Amino acid sequence: MTDESDGLHVLLGGYLLGGLSDADHSAFTEHLRTCAACQAELGQVSGLPRLLALAGPAGGPHLSPDAEGDAAAAPSVSDDEELPRLLSAVARRRQTRRRWFTAVAAAAAAVLFGAGLWLGPRLTAPPELPTTHVVAAPAPGSSVRVDVALVTRGWGTQLDLDCEDMPTSGQLTLYVIDRKGGSTAAASWRGTPTGYSQLTGATALRPNEIQRLEIRDGKGQVLASATT
Amino acid sequence: MPLDDEAVAAIYREHGPMLRRVVWRATSDANRVEDIVQEVILRVWRQAPEVDNLRAYLITTARHLIVDQHRASTRRPQQTALVDLPVDDADLDRALDQVLVEEALGRLQPAHRDVVRCLYYERLSIAETSTRLGTPEGTVKSRAYYAVRHLRAILDEMGVTR
Ligand SMILES: [Zn+2]
Repeated sequence: MTDESDGLHVLLGGYLLGGLSDADHSAFTEHLRTCAACQAELGQVSGLPRLLALAGPAGGPHLSPDAEGDAAAAPSVSDDEELPRLLSAVARRRQTRRRWFTAVAAAAAAVLFGAGLWLGPRLTAPPELPTTHVVAAPAPGSSVRVDVALVTRGWGTQLDLDCEDMPTSGQLTLYVIDRKGGSTAAASWRGTPTGYSQLTGATALRPNEIQRLEIRDGKGQVLASATT
Repeated sequence: MPLDDEAVAAIYREHGPMLRRVVWRATSDANRVEDIVQEVILRVWRQAPEVDNLRAYLITTARHLIVDQHRASTRRPQQTALVDLPVDDADLDRALDQVLVEEALGRLQPAHRDVVRCLYYERLSIAETSTRLGTPEGTVKSRAYYAVRHLRAILDEMGVTR
C-alpha cells in the first residue's frame, strides 16, 4: 500500500492550488483524515493561497510579463555608477561603527538563494590575491554544477564555491585530496530548497598541494569532482 | 578595498535588484528608489546584525524605512509625499507582501512556476494543465507538490511567515 499512499501525499499540491479531479479530491480528503504527515504539511502551507491571491489576478510580472509590462520593472540602475556613491557613504560613516567583516556577508550568502546575482568569489576575495577558477565535473548520474575559486591565502587556500542544481536536502561536504591521496573535509553545508548555494571553505593546503576536490552527499557519494 | 566595502558591495550587488523592485512597487517613486535602497543597505551595514537570513532582514529594514518616510512626509505636508503610498501600515504591509509574493514566484523554477500559473491563477484542472504544458498528469501533480513546498521555503526565507 506504500506506493498508493506515496501517490496520495503528492496530491497535497493540487489540493492547495486547485485543479484536482473529483476522484483525486475525495481520495486526498480521505487520506488526509488519517495521514499525520500530510496534516502537518498542510498546516505549514495552508497560508499560501491567501498570499498567492495578493499577487492576483495573474500572479504578477514573473508569471505574466505582458499583463503588467513596464509598470513592474524597477527603474534600471547601473551598479558601476551607483556603487561608488554607496561606498563613499560607507566611508563617511565608517568611524561611527564597529567593523563588519566580509565573513558576515559571505556566511549569510551561503544560506541565501539567487545564485545568478551573486558575485561572491570575485567580491569576497580581494582582487590582488592569486585565484584559480575550476569547474567541478558532475559524477555520472549527477547534474550538479559547482564552480570553485581557489584563493591563495597566507594560511593556505580559501575555497569559494558556487553550486547549482544540488540535492535540495541532506548534508553536503567538500573534500580536499592532497597529492599523497589523503582527504580532508574543508566545508560542510545543507542542501537548500532551490538547490543553489554559495559558500566558502578553507584548507591548510596550498593550491599546488591540492590534487583534487570532491563534493559528496550525506552517504559519501561523490556528486562532482575537480582536478586542479 | 577595506573589508566593509567588500561586504557592502557584495550585498548591494546581490540584493540591490530585489530591493529596488520591492521599493519601486511599494512607493512608485522612481526618483527615490535608489536612495531608499542605498539607505537600507547603509542601515543594515551600520547595525551589523548577526542574522542567518540577510534577505529577510533587508526587507524588514526597507519596510520600516518606507513607513518612517511616509510618516515624516505626512507630518510635513509641504514636502512631496511618496506617490501612491498606501494610507496606513496595514495597507503598506499588504502592498509589500504582494511584492514579496511576486518576487517569490519569480524565484520558483520555471517548470514549477508554470504549474502554479495554470492551476492557481488560470484555474485549470490537472488534466487541462497537462495538455497545456505537454506534461503527463502525474508530473503536473508532483510539480504542484514541489512548487508548494518550494514557494513556502522561499517565502520563509524572505521573512513572509504568514
Ligand atoms: Zn499523506
